Amino acid sequence: MAIKRYTTVILTALALSLTNSGCEKYLDVSPPFAQDAENYFNSEQDYELALIGAYDLLQASYLTLWIGEIASDNAIAGGESVNDSEGLHQIEAMTHNAVNNELRSIFRWNYAGIARTNFIMEYKDKTDFDGKEQIIGETRFLRAYYYFELVKYFGDVPLIIDKRLGSEEVTEVARTPRSEVYAQIESDLRYAANNLPWNNPVKGKAEKGSALALLGKVYLYQNKFAQAAEVLDEVINDGPYSLMANFGDLWFAANEDNSETVFDVEYSNLEGGSYGCLICLEGNAAAGFQGIRQYEGPLYGDGNSYNLPTADLYNAFPVNDPRRDITVLNLDSFINLQPDPGSISYAVGGGGHTGFYNNKYIKRQSELGLPDDDLTSPLNYKAIRYADVLLMAAEAHTRSNNDGPALTYLNEVRARVGMPAVNASGQQLTEAIWQERRYELSGEGLRFFDLVRTGKAATSIDNFTSGKNEIFPIPQVEIDLAGGSWTQNSGY
Amino acid sequence: MKNYYLRRFKGFAAIVLLFLPIWMQAQSVAITGVVKEAANGLPIPGVNVLVKGTSVGTTTDMDGNYTIQAKPGDDLVFSFIGFQAATIKVTSSRTINVSLKEESSVLSEIVVVGYGSSTKKEITGATSQVDGVELKKLNLSRVDQALQGQVSGVTINSNSGSPGGSSNIRIRGLSTFGDNDPLILVDGIVYDSEGLNALNPADIESVNVLKDGTAGIYGVRAANGVIIIETKKGKLNTKPQIEFSGFYGMQETTNRLSLLNANEYAIIKNNAFVNAGQTAPFNNTQLGEGTDWQNEIFQVAPMQNYNISINGGTNKTRYSIGGSYYTQDGIVGLDKANFTRYNARFNVSYELSTKFRINSVLLYTNENRRSLPENGIGSVLYNTINAYPTEPVRQTDGRYSYLELVNDIINPVAQMENTYNESAVNKLVGKEELVYTINENFTFTNRFNYNAAIVDGKVFSPLVWYGPGKAQNTAVNADLDAPRVEIADSIFLERGASVYENRDYYVDLNFESFLNYERQINREHKVKGTLGTSVFTRSGSGLNATAFNVPNNSVDFADISANQAEGGFLNNAGSFEFEERLVSAFLRAEYSYLNRYLFSAIVRRDGSSKFGANNRWGIFPAFSGAWVFSDESFFDVSFIDFGKLRMSYGISGNDQIPNFAYRALLNGEGVYVLDDLITSGVAIGRASNPDLKWETTHQFNVGLDLTILKEISFAMNYFVKNTNDLLFQPDVSGLLGTYGPGGFPPFVNAGDVSNRGLELELGYSTDPTKDWVFSTSFNMTQLTNEVLRVPDGVDFIPGAQFGVGGNVATRFEVGQPIGYYIGLQTDGIFQSQQEIDNSSVVQAGARPGDLRYVDQNGDGVISFGDDSDRTKIGSPIPDFTFGLNLTGRYKNFDASCNLYAAVGQEIIRNYERQQPYANQLTYIIDRWTGPGSSEDIPRVTTGATRNNVFSDYFVEDGSFLRIRNLQVGYTLPRKWLTRQKVESMRVYVSVNNLYTLTNYQGFDPDIGNFGGVLAAGVDYGFYPQARTIMGGFNIKF
Repeated sequence: MAIKRYTTVILTALALSLTNSGCEKYLDVSPPFAQDAENYFNSEQDYELALIGAYDLLQASYLTLWIGEIASDNAIAGGESVNDSEGLHQIEAMTHNAVNNELRSIFRWNYAGIARTNFIMEYKDKTDFDGKEQIIGETRFLRAYYYFELVKYFGDVPLIIDKRLGSEEVTEVARTPRSEVYAQIESDLRYAANNLPWNNPVKGKAEKGSALALLGKVYLYQNKFAQAAEVLDEVINDGPYSLMANFGDLWFAANEDNSETVFDVEYSNLEGGSYGCLICLEGNAAAGFQGIRQYEGPLYGDGNSYNLPTADLYNAFPVNDPRRDITVLNLDSFINLQPDPGSISYAVGGGGHTGFYNNKYIKRQSELGLPDDDLTSPLNYKAIRYADVLLMAAEAHTRSNNDGPALTYLNEVRARVGMPAVNASGQQLTEAIWQERRYELSGEGLRFFDLVRTGKAATSIDNFTSGKNEIFPIPQVEIDLAGGSWTQNSGY
Repeated sequence: MKNYYLRRFKGFAAIVLLFLPIWMQAQSVAITGVVKEAANGLPIPGVNVLVKGTSVGTTTDMDGNYTIQAKPGDDLVFSFIGFQAATIKVTSSRTINVSLKEESSVLSEIVVVGYGSSTKKEITGATSQVDGVELKKLNLSRVDQALQGQVSGVTINSNSGSPGGSSNIRIRGLSTFGDNDPLILVDGIVYDSEGLNALNPADIESVNVLKDGTAGIYGVRAANGVIIIETKKGKLNTKPQIEFSGFYGMQETTNRLSLLNANEYAIIKNNAFVNAGQTAPFNNTQLGEGTDWQNEIFQVAPMQNYNISINGGTNKTRYSIGGSYYTQDGIVGLDKANFTRYNARFNVSYELSTKFRINSVLLYTNENRRSLPENGIGSVLYNTINAYPTEPVRQTDGRYSYLELVNDIINPVAQMENTYNESAVNKLVGKEELVYTINENFTFTNRFNYNAAIVDGKVFSPLVWYGPGKAQNTAVNADLDAPRVEIADSIFLERGASVYENRDYYVDLNFESFLNYERQINREHKVKGTLGTSVFTRSGSGLNATAFNVPNNSVDFADISANQAEGGFLNNAGSFEFEERLVSAFLRAEYSYLNRYLFSAIVRRDGSSKFGANNRWGIFPAFSGAWVFSDESFFDVSFIDFGKLRMSYGISGNDQIPNFAYRALLNGEGVYVLDDLITSGVAIGRASNPDLKWETTHQFNVGLDLTILKEISFAMNYFVKNTNDLLFQPDVSGLLGTYGPGGFPPFVNAGDVSNRGLELELGYSTDPTKDWVFSTSFNMTQLTNEVLRVPDGVDFIPGAQFGVGGNVATRFEVGQPIGYYIGLQTDGIFQSQQEIDNSSVVQAGARPGDLRYVDQNGDGVISFGDDSDRTKIGSPIPDFTFGLNLTGRYKNFDASCNLYAAVGQEIIRNYERQQPYANQLTYIIDRWTGPGSSEDIPRVTTGATRNNVFSDYFVEDGSFLRIRNLQVGYTLPRKWLTRQKVESMRVYVSVNNLYTLTNYQGFDPDIGNFGGVLAAGVDYGFYPQARTIMGGFNIKF
């Protein structure tokens, strides 16, 4: 009897176990100590932390520093071999097409930055607190920054604002005309300029001047010279900025956050990293990669010989312009000036050799980071500095037929490095300003976009095809992943 | 009841007897007799009695009696399930009494299947068994290594030849993008393949591999097959038997690469520099042999192992207790690559009463493994291959040479000396099981299984200077000054020698309860049923941190507790925690008629916490059947003693993905530098997919088992295994924003893979009681793997990269095997400028002596930037694998041999660093040096060249045949031993990996994958398996 009852109990229990009552709850395991994306933004701190996440993608700037130079007449790709970052070699030769890992990174990383800003914007009304406008201002500044990068590279790009895109929505998104993207960028930057202070005590954060200067640049890229002149004048007249006395001092980590800093992308040497994930680094990968291959000698560290300046750039400088040797390291002549040149050695990479190195962003022994120090340079990327603001303002003024302020601004930049004042007007002055941009800003990733913007690309860049190479192709895989309906940029 | 069946049976027999004479020829006479069991003399009812070559037959009655009409000279065949058939010639005698012997152990062997057992004869699924003795014989540290080549359908590749290195176990091919490991159960306890280091192969009694749909009794975890391992158990009423065994062996590398010596190197490098228009670096090339870096790092390394076990039982208790010690040094690194393991095992079964039995299993392991950087750029062997021979190991001042001419390549001897990487595992695995025999039909089993492990890791990184510009430097100069980092205004932190420690803790808890039913009804019908439930929880947690400034730069102080950083500052401190759960119910019903027609049906329902509420539950059915056609009366093939046809179809699942992949968590990396400090924010990590569900594998199997001439066994299977809804993370549109740091695309179910194959197993053994005994087993697996679908919008999933920053060489693409190689195809060498100029295909940058590529799309241009000229140039998946065991014994001498072969796979030679001064293999001596000098090896140059683009020039045939083990033993004659109370003693010498027949130039063609399925076949300088010469003994008391 007892056995029979026991058996009944067992069978009932087993039968019950085949149904899921009770088990459902058992399977509801919550991730321990993890925050759910749908249940966030409950405090000021939540917004602050998400904003830090949105800043993170700025650190992809090392790549735009390379492409902006390598695509222009300023530099070649370099590296260990022609297969080493093959995409950069193709860009150097203007043979790049829609299959290019580096361009794909530009596309993906800027959209990752945009998604992080949109995550904040999606929930911007969830929790109220004092000073939220500033957080939203920084957020919108960053979104504008990332969209501006995309527009510069790719022209029309899908404009997604204030929401995260679900994977099923991707195929419904079309490329937005460039003008509409610019309108959004302008609106974001206007909001940022109106809500950010001139001085943010936290080093690295966007300020009113950052937003206005970027807005001026955005106007300039659209040939809206009067509007550009207006906002850039505001930066010059009302902002706290001035040129550093010594041009050469600008390029050392120790002198960062100076009077000339309008907006820096911040890097640190306090965290190691690996080649496996360059976007995960906290250091500036450009400095180590641009270092001298297997260099053994004073002052500099060794690196991967990327982004090597051309003789064309070196020879473009007037011999007496101190910016030449500060911008471009002529390695052999540097070595010959050392006490014991015979003891200094370096190697030539299979990816090309010019004898020149980017001396603004280069690994120096005094600025090493944690191992692997190719990846952990603390050198900030000077995204917008005051000299750029002055030259942009000069250009905006002269191209809106106001040569007076243009000459003042141009000559302020020249005076800092002891170069004689220019006295020109009209187109001649415009040409002088453009030339000055090369002297002042080479090696900073701006050259290619300046050449395209000013219509000089075809005459300056070998193999450049007008009507095609002004913008880069949308990565083919991104077209496919978005459903294949986008039209590729013309010529690709 | 009984009488009813008896009556019916008698009636049936009577009818048969009544009609039989009609067909008989006149001269036939009635033969009568009794059929009994040979072992106990009891009569056997229901035995088939057949006049051979006719359809005349009968069966024995309840008392074993039969009557049949036959004439003298006829052969009578007596057959019954579970017994060996007997054939007896009719003579003048009218009475023939027969004793049937129980069938050879093979067919009646108990096979443990999921939640129950069966016999080889009755099994309806595709399974393969290996005896523990076979596994132990090889003296390998891991059971997966020992399983290689033992069973068909199971492909095992070593991930590393280093001691304690893991293997890839693939049952019937690669079926998924992610985790392809089978479910491994040790005495019913889940044991992941990573943890197999803890299991002592000598403790294994038997291994059963469930390969087809019938593995579905394990439901959502069974898609990759199931390996059921049983450890040794005692026997009731047996006096204690003590067994002591051990061996000592010396290992050396199976292979060395043929690298350039200093003289050859200087000539080649001069040539390369001159070809690029640079100055030849060596004025004098007469540099002799130079440094043979392989000599410096390959050493002869010892290994040893001792096992002791006591087995036996009283009338109520069975026990098996054992202990073992295993230690092995590495052929690279000696004790820097040591693996040491202690095992204790306690396996007891106790009959509480006639109804209740307790089974208790407890396996404890302590293991320590040290390891060197392996299988990648920066590994010891990669550095060894690329280090150049003109550099001495040490400079005259005694310091290690810097190898300054090469980037990223460091002195491998210095590297070994400065590597301190060890992990320790303490693992306790066991179960407590209560078996309640309700009555003769019902058994109810409740058990509690546990598997707990504490894993400790420690990596000490001393301050070391490998030379200027080496990325691996931790010091800033040769004086070993520590880097100083400014963390705030004028506050410096010194970063001296560091130690990283982690302690992780994993626990599996599993409660299972199941009811087994078994009933034999009147010899004709047999019904078996299993109904059960299982609740499984796996949880884990871990803590880790790095401490800087270890005192004295010494490993003796390498512990977080000894760190001298200001304020005990720890770096990168982290922790993790997880829990996952699985709830299951399962049902199996089996029916057999006359033990000749067998059917089985399985259904399992699983609920897994890996998935969201909408897709949590899955139902997995399987059906199988078998027909023992040799028992049919019409079956008349005299040389086939046993024949069975099997068929099965089943659906199983795979839930091996990270936890919480179905929901979006803020676990991305949102870190920026503010106020010069690294500041952490939050960011979305992996994008979510709430509709995520398990992968589903549908498998069809048809098989044939035969026993031929009593001594030959044969098994064959053909299978089609389709895996649908593959779980993986394909690229998604960048617009989703998932490509920020710490961000990943969502897991999706998108992709199908098919595996089809043929498996063959053959065994032959002679009568083991004779002086001369010979046995052999052979198995073969043929496999075709094909990707059938990739996610929408994606043409392929890219895999491993070739060289440094080079092309992606492997892919997951429709119509191709998983991880196939794609690159340019070569067509000889351009012999002259004229040939280049006249070529109809433009190959940018080509120079005489360069590889000539094939223009696949015929557009007249070799495109280096896209796929248009790339094509399939290899696959890491072998077409065939073979295993062969040969064993012979003459009186007291025995010898055995084990061979394994894999044929048809290719390997990517990816261990050559394409740098001007890196050393090279000697094949480069036959390079192109002028018109007509070479048709396959291009010129050398340090200048820009497209010869290093990934092409079939870098792909080699990876087929090989390996003599895995050769062994000669001698069992001491009994009479020598009686005085020492020793029951038996055997001594042997044995060689592992004696010889490998291959054309592959790398260290070892038996390479697995180090970084996911798409990294298979990519050789970065694989740690080769050792050739080991061992001497051992085995004593039983």
